[in-house]
Amino acid sequence: MLLRVENVHKSFGALKVLKGVELSVDKGDVVAILGPSGSGKTTLLRCVNFLERADEGVLTFDGERFDLARMAKRDVSRLRKKTAFVFQSYNLFLNKTALENVTEGLITGRGIPKTEAIKTARRALDKVGMLDRADHYPSQLSGGQQQRTAIARAIAAQPEILYFDEPTSALDPELTGEVLAVMRQLAEEGMTMLVVTHELGFARTVSSQVVFMEGGVVVEAGPSRQIFEAPRQERTRVFLQTDQT
Amino acid sequence: MDSRLLDILVDSFPKILIPGLTVTLPLTAIAFSIAMVIAVAAALAQFARVPVITPICRFYIWIFRGTPLLVQLFVVFFGMPKVGITIAPFPAAVIVFSLNEGAYCAETVRAALEAVPSGQLEAGLCAGLSYLQTMRRIILPQAMRTAFPPLSNSIIAMVKDTSLAANITVVEMLRATEQINARVYEPLALYIEVGLIYLLFSTVLTWLQRIGEKRLSAYENRGV
Repeated sequence: MLLRVENVHKSFGALKVLKGVELSVDKGDVVAILGPSGSGKTTLLRCVNFLERADEGVLTFDGERFDLARMAKRDVSRLRKKTAFVFQSYNLFLNKTALENVTEGLITGRGIPKTEAIKTARRALDKVGMLDRADHYPSQLSGGQQQRTAIARAIAAQPEILYFDEPTSALDPELTGEVLAVMRQLAEEGMTMLVVTHELGFARTVSSQVVFMEGGVVVEAGPSRQIFEAPRQERTRVFLQTDQT
Repeated sequence: MDSRLLDILVDSFPKILIPGLTVTLPLTAIAFSIAMVIAVAAALAQFARVPVITPICRFYIWIFRGTPLLVQLFVVFFGMPKVGITIAPFPAAVIVFSLNEGAYCAETVRAALEAVPSGQLEAGLCAGLSYLQTMRRIILPQAMRTAFPPLSNSIIAMVKDTSLAANITVVEMLRATEQINARVYEPLALYIEVGLIYLLFSTVLTWLQRIGEKRLSAYENRGV
């Protein structure tokens, strides 16, 4: 098991967003987190990568146990270097070219020599089909191109797990496909991924596991095939049916 | 124009311009550089909500934005000797202009920092940069781009405000003009002349601003 979180609680003021969530990801797994808006799936992902501080919860990563509510800064930055995050709104560094977006974390964050970092970055950009745009700034790229660059930035440092937060939700339907294709390719190469998504097609065909959340709890989790073909919970069944029409 | 007046204008021109180049501009350049260091430090401290430092910054900004520049000059130059601190005119002017300008620019830079989308900081942290690395490499450069036009405004205003230093015996352009005027008494012509030289300086700065903005906007939208 690569990653496991247990009993994650998180409130924003009086609003309880997560009420004891549990989830685990094995190496090579592609886990899709599904659920209606407001179910807490994005908050869960942000807690797992410490963008939000959980009120309570235990994280086990690579066999090490951490208290999510009391993470030391040192542990946070150490774990962040083993993970990568792809945002819904891309969040490419606006003052950096596509290439620099990828090299920044390698050179500044990890102290990799510049020439080596550029080589690595170009390989990553090539993989997502963005090498010919390496010198473009984010403002000169389409949403799909920006998101593919963001994925290149995420994979360049060879993280142990990739987190995706609704990576295609900000994209026009015709641009969604190019991003999903890149994610599918990563999944086939064995990349471990935890994906919050509304793309049921992606969840069904690419992910190996599905976690269905609602109201701040995990309603049902299991192999994608089972969840899609024979959901045990009525809520899951209703969600999958209504969303597919 | 009679030839006496013309002679006075021609004769006074270098006598005003030279203090402009040796006092007004250095005073502006030195004080503005120090002000920028103060401004960025104070803005970053407030942005990161550093305990203790943040309220100190607020207090400093409150004092220097809330009192007249001329009063500040008088306090430092005429007032401080009372408590045994005597400062020569030029350094006194540098101190006051730096602190005064630093207070205004701190607010400009702070606003610009807050205008950077919060996702930029998160992306930096997730890409493996530390908080300070993200500030230095990602947030601050973007904020300075936003802050550049208002900061240019500030420096242009400062070139002209340095004329207040005449009141604490710094022989900058205005005081040089006053000295000439005391001899020849041609206030209209001489004060218009010094005004035009200020205008010339401001024009050059405006022009530099435009070049600067063009270079800084390299990453902004030029169309997909």
